[in-house]
Formats: sequence, C-alpha cells, structure tokens
Amino acid sequence: MIMEDDDLKSIWHEYDRKMEEAKLLNLQSWALNLRWFQDSQIQKARSKLGAAVRFKLFAVLLGIVWIFFLSVLVYGNQLRNLYFTISLSMIILFNITAIVVYIKHIILIRKIDYSESITDTQKRLANLQLSTFWISRILWLQMPFYCTWFWNSNLIDFSSLRFWLITFPITLFFILLTIYLYRNINIRNIDKWWVKRLMMAGHEYKSLIEAKKFVAEIDEFKKDLVLNKEFQNIG
Amino acid sequence: MGTQQAKGNFLKLIQDNKGIIVRLCNSYCAKKNDREDLAQEITIQLWKAGDHYDPNQRFSTWMYRVALNIAISFYRKGKTAITSVSLDEGCYEMEDENEPADETAGNINLLQRLINELGELDRALMILFLEEKTYAEIAEILGISETNVATKISRTKKKIKQKFSELNK
Repeated sequence: MIMEDDDLKSIWHEYDRKMEEAKLLNLQSWALNLRWFQDSQIQKARSKLGAAVRFKLFAVLLGIVWIFFLSVLVYGNQLRNLYFTISLSMIILFNITAIVVYIKHIILIRKIDYSESITDTQKRLANLQLSTFWISRILWLQMPFYCTWFWNSNLIDFSSLRFWLITFPITLFFILLTIYLYRNINIRNIDKWWVKRLMMAGHEYKSLIEAKKFVAEIDEFKKDLVLNKEFQNIG
Repeated sequence: MGTQQAKGNFLKLIQDNKGIIVRLCNSYCAKKNDREDLAQEITIQLWKAGDHYDPNQRFSTWMYRVALNIAISFYRKGKTAITSVSLDEGCYEMEDENEPADETAGNINLLQRLINELGELDRALMILFLEEKTYAEIAEILGISETNVATKISRTKKKIKQKFSELNK
C-alpha cells in the first residue's frame, strides 16, 4: 500500500480522537479550570522550569554570605598583613564577578520570551546553559590566592629554605594550572575527560553536553536546504 | 494581564485551544505524571506570556510557539534527568483494553512511535504538518524559511511513509 499525506493526517486525527476518549490528560481537573485561575494568583505558581533560576539565586545568596565573611576578615585585619588583605581581596573580587554573571543569567532567563520562534528561543536557552563555563573559569582564577593568604612578613623574612622549597613550587604550580584552566575550560573542550572531572560531574555536565549538541542541531535545522527536484512538486 | 474581563477572554482562548496542549503533552511526554506537569507548565507560561500576545496575530499560532517552546524545554530537561524513558509507554497507554487491536489502532501506535523517534525540532515540524498548519505558519512558529519547511517536511514524510510500508508488509 502506498501511503498518501491524507492517510497520515487521518491517522493523526484518529489518534487525537482516541486521546480525547482515553482522557490521557485530564485538563479539566486543574490546568484549565477558569475559576482556579481567576481566584488564584498565577504568578505565585511554582514553575518547574524556574528551578534553574532558583538554583542560581541560591548560589548568589551563598556567594554573598561567603563574600561578607571574607570582607569581615579583611576589615578586621586592618591592612596589618598585606599578603592576607591582597589574597582575600582577590578572592572576593572573583566571587563578586561570578555573582554578577549569575545575576545577569537570572535576568536573561527571566527575559526569555517563549512566544518567539522555537529555534531562536531554544538556541538562546541552550547558549545560556553553556555560559555556565564562564562562571567555572572565573572561579578557578581565585585558586592561587588560597596558597598565599597565610603569608606574612615574618614568614618571608625568617622561614627556612625548606619552607620555600615547598611553598613556592606549590604556588607556582597553582598559578600555571589556573592559567591553563582559564584558557582551556571552554565549549570546544567539553568532550575532554579532564573538563568533565573539573567542571561538574553527573547531571549538570550531561546537560551541558546536551546543550552543545542541541545548539549544533538548531544550526543544522535552520540551514536552508536546496530543494531536490523530487521535492519541488510536493507540498 | 489587564482587566478581569481581559483575563477571562484570554483564558477562554486558551480553553478553546486546549487541544494543542493535550497533543503536545502526549507527543513530548511518555509518562502520565509528566504530561500533567507539562500541561500545567504550558498553561502557566501562556498566562505569563499573555502580555506579549498581539490580538492581530492568530491565537493558535502564538499558542503553538509558546507551548512548543515549553514542551521542548521540558522534554530536554527530562532527557538529562531521566536517561531512559520508554517511548513505547505512551503508545501502550493509548490502547483501550476493551477494543480489539485493529489496523487503525496499530497505525496510530506506529505513527506515534515514529514521531517520538524524531528529534525535538523535527517532531515539532511533523506535529504542525499533521495539524494542517500552512507552510507559512510552520515557518513562523519554528523560525525557519518556508522553503526549508517544505524540504524538511518532504524528507521526514518520506522516511515515515517508508517505515510504515516496511512495517506494514
């Protein structure tokens, strides 16, 4: 049997009818209950897709608490130890940058207009997801300063050579590692095992891989294909 | 959303087009609970996006854009959270135990399965085609050119028809 377009459509309409009969989705019970909508404030409804925003808000709050704690320490030190002050100030700076990026993400997510075309909206969403890389890169930059906050003048003037032989290479190693990570943690390297290990294991990482694939899929989907002769008379 | 009357009118429009929500939920979710969550999510987002609706636009086209965007996002979220959702589940649920498994029921299951096997975007394309949307409308909803719509629909239809013929032999 050669199937025609009308055959496909009639199967689809029959499927529609069966769905109605089977009541696979009882919309009447909640979603389209006009009374419920008019009586309740829909804005308060918890959206499942809003989970990403809630997670970012939580991260922002946690970051603010952390920055506040570090700021109290810096303030308490009153510039008595310059190494301590500079190290903590740099850590604070990177954390503030990460928080600003997170806040920017939250604003962008909230601004997403779902009534725009599918390809544009989905690509924007996937790219937003991929920008998580930025946060990771920024946060790795603070690493060397965790090796220097405890330095002080006494330590520098009176420590034995052995101390420096241990401390200096470790600090240098972290500085070089940080530079390497900053330059290499990006979408191009998403498939490399060390990115997977360093970034985030499991679900979050998997969603980044999916986002990268999806962006490529959308680009492919948007490409205008040249009509083959066999298709020119169809539709 | 402005006045109480405007709210009422808008909800009436959603109510009149609820079939769109039902069809998309069944096409993008395999499990009943997910379908209900998705329907709720779509309704919430339609309500939120209501302010952007231009009455000069065709409501169903606007609704398809919002609903498909939510359905695809929801599906993608589930895809990363749940790695193995049986696509057959929806098909089997469709079957009415009291009804003999006739040719039509078999065709419906097969079509549903073949559509579920498509990627998120191709699936949206085929649903819109089967819903008898014009190429211009499909192009507007998906954000691609009409030529592209025509080509993609032809290719996807050809594949689906071929599989139908092979499996129905």
